[in-house]
Amino acid sequence: MSIDLIMNGLQQGLILAIIAYSIMIPFRFLDFADLTADGAYPLGGAICAVCMLSGMHTMVAILCSMICAGAVGICTALITLKFRVNSMLAGIILSTMAYSVNLRIMGKPNIALFDCGGLFDSNIVGNMAIIVGILASCVFPFALFLRTDFGLRFRAVGLNPNLAKQQRISIEKYTVFGLFAAGAMFGLAGSLIVQLQNYMDVGIGVGILIHGLASLMIGETIIGNATLNRQLTAPLLGALVYQQVQGVALSLGLAPSDLKFFTGSIVLSVIAFKKWREK
Amino acid sequence: MLKISNVTKSFSGVFEPVLKRVNLSLEEGEFCTLIGANGSGKSTLLKIISGEYVADSGKIKRDGEVSQVVQEVNKGTIPSMTMLENIALICVKTPRFSFYGRHKNDIADKIRSLNIGLEKFIDQPLSVLSGGQRQTIATLMALNSGSKILLLDEHTSALDPKMQTLLMEYTAKSVRKLGLTTLMITHNMEDAVKYGDRLIMMHRGQIVVDLKGHEKSNLKIQSLLEMFHKFEDQSLLHCGEENVN
Repeated sequence: MSIDLIMNGLQQGLILAIIAYSIMIPFRFLDFADLTADGAYPLGGAICAVCMLSGMHTMVAILCSMICAGAVGICTALITLKFRVNSMLAGIILSTMAYSVNLRIMGKPNIALFDCGGLFDSNIVGNMAIIVGILASCVFPFALFLRTDFGLRFRAVGLNPNLAKQQRISIEKYTVFGLFAAGAMFGLAGSLIVQLQNYMDVGIGVGILIHGLASLMIGETIIGNATLNRQLTAPLLGALVYQQVQGVALSLGLAPSDLKFFTGSIVLSVIAFKKWREK
Repeated sequence: MLKISNVTKSFSGVFEPVLKRVNLSLEEGEFCTLIGANGSGKSTLLKIISGEYVADSGKIKRDGEVSQVVQEVNKGTIPSMTMLENIALICVKTPRFSFYGRHKNDIADKIRSLNIGLEKFIDQPLSVLSGGQRQTIATLMALNSGSKILLLDEHTSALDPKMQTLLMEYTAKSVRKLGLTTLMITHNMEDAVKYGDRLIMMHRGQIVVDLKGHEKSNLKIQSLLEMFHKFEDQSLLHCGEENVN
């Protein structure tokens, strides 16, 4: 396995970590099975690509993609809470709808972004430093928020909703906030990946949820999630390990078309291992 | 103050209503123990007062918020959160964007007042504590939640005798100090006689005994047991007649 492959894996792993954090928020803090990733992530990419093509500043393009993807999260929360639709069904419906919306935004299935500038260049270390900076600017404020009175209430919503209701904590407000934050981070990840790859394809979101989930579960299996610090470290560690494992598999001759089967196998193995360890 | 007027509650599939036009009024700061056989309607009454169940008919008037401690310890706590986090969650009524760690000294003082050495676990998840220790923390949380009305549903029943006595003493002392209007379900006749200003016995969805003042303070366990068995014998007789018919 070459150094280039390892560095590329780390770079991709850092972006995957953003997705794993986005999955962690509803799944671990709100006990909300949110499947909007497959819709919100490409939506972020599509909006960022179109904004950059129109000459908008990169940071403004990223901000727009975060807000729009966050809005998808809000829609999932409201559909689930107001119409009592199962959260998974709401996520699937919105992801399906987002596919058409993305095509409308882009006007065609893929867009090349070679002359649009963006945050990244060919210096892989510099690119990684930028992604680390962006990741830190999302995760540290969130970690601090979780240690405030409001953060405590946010965590209680998922851990014991009945107790939260007794304490007059608004489940709706915290769920909407959490899903907006998760959606915005999906959008951020989508906008970073299109800049890194210099193109946007409408199908980039297919299976992204399972990649993020695999990362989260690998991280939690390695260091656990018994404390807040461990829970907040797990997505980053899991994403970096997962991306390297994927790199090793590819370098050993795994066909890229078999990657999704490989990912599914990893998720199932991690679940089986966790259950076996709990016995 | 807590006022319950003509509350009736039935469950589908159960022929007889669980509560039949129950009337009860507790003054502010009154500590009332509630006894009765299994299925007499005690827990249903508490669940209606707390808002968990809705009465079929009747009115509930509560002057202030309600907090409760139930038998199942995990209902009132979050085992994966630390003791500090659990207590801060309940006791902080006006949340701010400040770290909850600022309450640590106050919370440590509250835990120290229990006198059972739990303060050393303040930064540990509640899951590391024994069931009895967790129930003690759940009671501490309910007492310090700022509610005016406290409902206790056999909150010491799963504890060992020593822990039961400690927790009951702590509960009674705190309820007095804070002036909470309290309704406590217990199957322990000694506790029912020893604690509280008032004693109520329920039987088949109705209040059949209501003792307060001198009647309550002069009550002996033996006479309470006799009253309890008298209603239970009647109940058995009634069931027997129903079966014969």
